Amino acid sequence: MLEFFKEFPEMSRVDLRDFKNSIDFAFRSFSRNYGEGIESFFDPVLWFLIWLEKLLLATPWPIIMLVVAGLCYLGARSWKLSFGSILTFALIGYLGMWEDTMSTIALISVATLLCISIGMPLGIWMARSDRVQALITPVLDVMQTIPIFVYLLPVLMLLGIGKVPGLIAVCVYAMPPMVRLTNLGIRLVDKDILEAADAFGADKKQRLFGVQIPLALPNIFAGVNQTIMMALAMVVIASMIGVRGLGIPVLQAIQNQYLALGLMNGLAIVALAIIFDRVLQRYGKRLQKHRIGSKND
Amino acid sequence: MKNLLVSAALVLGSLVLASVHAYAENCEFKMSDMNWPSATLMANVDKFILEEGYGCKVELVLGATTATFVTMNEKSEPHVAPELWTNSVAEPLEKAMEEGRLFSANIGPITELGEGWWVTPETLKRHPEFKTVLDILERPDLFPAKEDPSKGEFIGCPAGWGCQLSNQSLFIAFEMEKKGWVLIDPGSKAGLDGSMSKAAQRGDNWLGYYWAPTSLIGKYNMKLMDFGVPFAGSENWDSCVAKGPESCTDPKPSAWTKSIVQTVVTSEIITMPNVMEYFGKRIFPGPIMNSMLVYMEDNQSQGLDGAIEFLEKHPEIWTNWVSVEAAKKVKKAL
Repeated sequence: MLEFFKEFPEMSRVDLRDFKNSIDFAFRSFSRNYGEGIESFFDPVLWFLIWLEKLLLATPWPIIMLVVAGLCYLGARSWKLSFGSILTFALIGYLGMWEDTMSTIALISVATLLCISIGMPLGIWMARSDRVQALITPVLDVMQTIPIFVYLLPVLMLLGIGKVPGLIAVCVYAMPPMVRLTNLGIRLVDKDILEAADAFGADKKQRLFGVQIPLALPNIFAGVNQTIMMALAMVVIASMIGVRGLGIPVLQAIQNQYLALGLMNGLAIVALAIIFDRVLQRYGKRLQKHRIGSKND
Repeated sequence: MKNLLVSAALVLGSLVLASVHAYAENCEFKMSDMNWPSATLMANVDKFILEEGYGCKVELVLGATTATFVTMNEKSEPHVAPELWTNSVAEPLEKAMEEGRLFSANIGPITELGEGWWVTPETLKRHPEFKTVLDILERPDLFPAKEDPSKGEFIGCPAGWGCQLSNQSLFIAFEMEKKGWVLIDPGSKAGLDGSMSKAAQRGDNWLGYYWAPTSLIGKYNMKLMDFGVPFAGSENWDSCVAKGPESCTDPKPSAWTKSIVQTVVTSEIITMPNVMEYFGKRIFPGPIMNSMLVYMEDNQSQGLDGAIEFLEKHPEIWTNWVSVEAAKKVKKAL
């Protein structure tokens, strides 16, 4: 009897082994039967990614720099930022990281777009229903805490190595903050303001786009910031499953203790993150000024 | 005369006694239990057979290649490294052997091991005309790359591994780009494993770098391809292929350099003829070793479990390594 309390009554070794093997086997047959179908489902994303990467690589570098500076100015209306980004890109190119950087930009911009365009509606949906929130929150918890290779292993089995699994890895990790902060931002909108909107006869759509989202923008943009930072932090992990880009030299550096190589490529990732983020944040601020300003008129 | 006889008998007797005594006393040593599955399996098989069959006392010591080699070389302990991959320690090992500190007890304890280019068994079933790597290189269309299906995909070695450079060089040496191939960097061991497993599970064609003995090779029954060209000399390999395309631009096509694995022992073991004889005969056939690694992985078992499974399932192999008497004792102990 005492034995029962001393040792946890665990499954027998044979049963446990069979249990594990049956899961592995079930997944293997799933992958055999549906793998190709799932793979072709993601093909459009893959084609787009490849197209974007090729476009970035084929475009002469001065044009890329001009476009970057132009986008910076359009987004942030700041000459300082435009100039800074040109300088950064020049340095990256000079240090021989141009091609890897282009590959990384292709992956990260697609990943960020995907995360925002899925994450924001999801956050809005969550904000409107407590039941949805109760359902999605644990999923987000799993996405953020589960060790990366635990879910990458089945993804690798299904999709092989390459860009799409890399994109999935990045998005699984980078999307949750977008969802959470959109949800939070909308839930924090003052009830009185909503009542006022209702009193003016705003329908659901007007209430959402005219009141809730504009007022939630600071939080939403904090979400965008987090998403970008996390996406870029995942570049190295994505390279571990065969995605070209700045992650590959970082892995090389880690494996062989090449200090300078690691530092250079690591800092290039940081520089990209900062440029992406500053431009979008300034853009967000301008958006809010404009909205708030127009409301005050 | 009588005295002489007595003293001779005494001397002889004491000699016999001494040697028996020395044998029992001496057959006690430390063996390295290295941190990868085939090495830990071997160490446990050796320990079981030597302890049960020959009455030795063997202590297993954990360690990786370099650390084990250094302590063996400097401190003469542990006394045995059952599966030492000597390529990485070639120079100091040679020196230690010349100076009589270390000895090779077996220059090939596992057969069919090493690095190279592998394909899935389905590839060979569908295309029996593929005899060597050279045949495969003519058909990149059968190995379409995910990102550019007009090219053939060759999966190289993960970023930063030593073999990455060798694969890059061979990619150039075999003019694979001209033949319509791309070299894919799988990024990590997980990426390489995933890529190979996916293809093997679906029965797709796959051409890539891997090595044996490993459980994945055994699990999917992967086939090592002959390169179709001989090894083009260690000059070409060491100072060109292995240095990578950035240091050497004109590598010659070559088969992969032979990995040398040995059972290395210290001078103390040399004085134990039974043990030396056992190590000399102890050769694992590659496919059996791979299948044991699959068993160990499937059952998530430790080295000892794997060793007992091997001794139970494959007596046809290990009984040839030992004396009849020792075999009986080992069988009894199982």
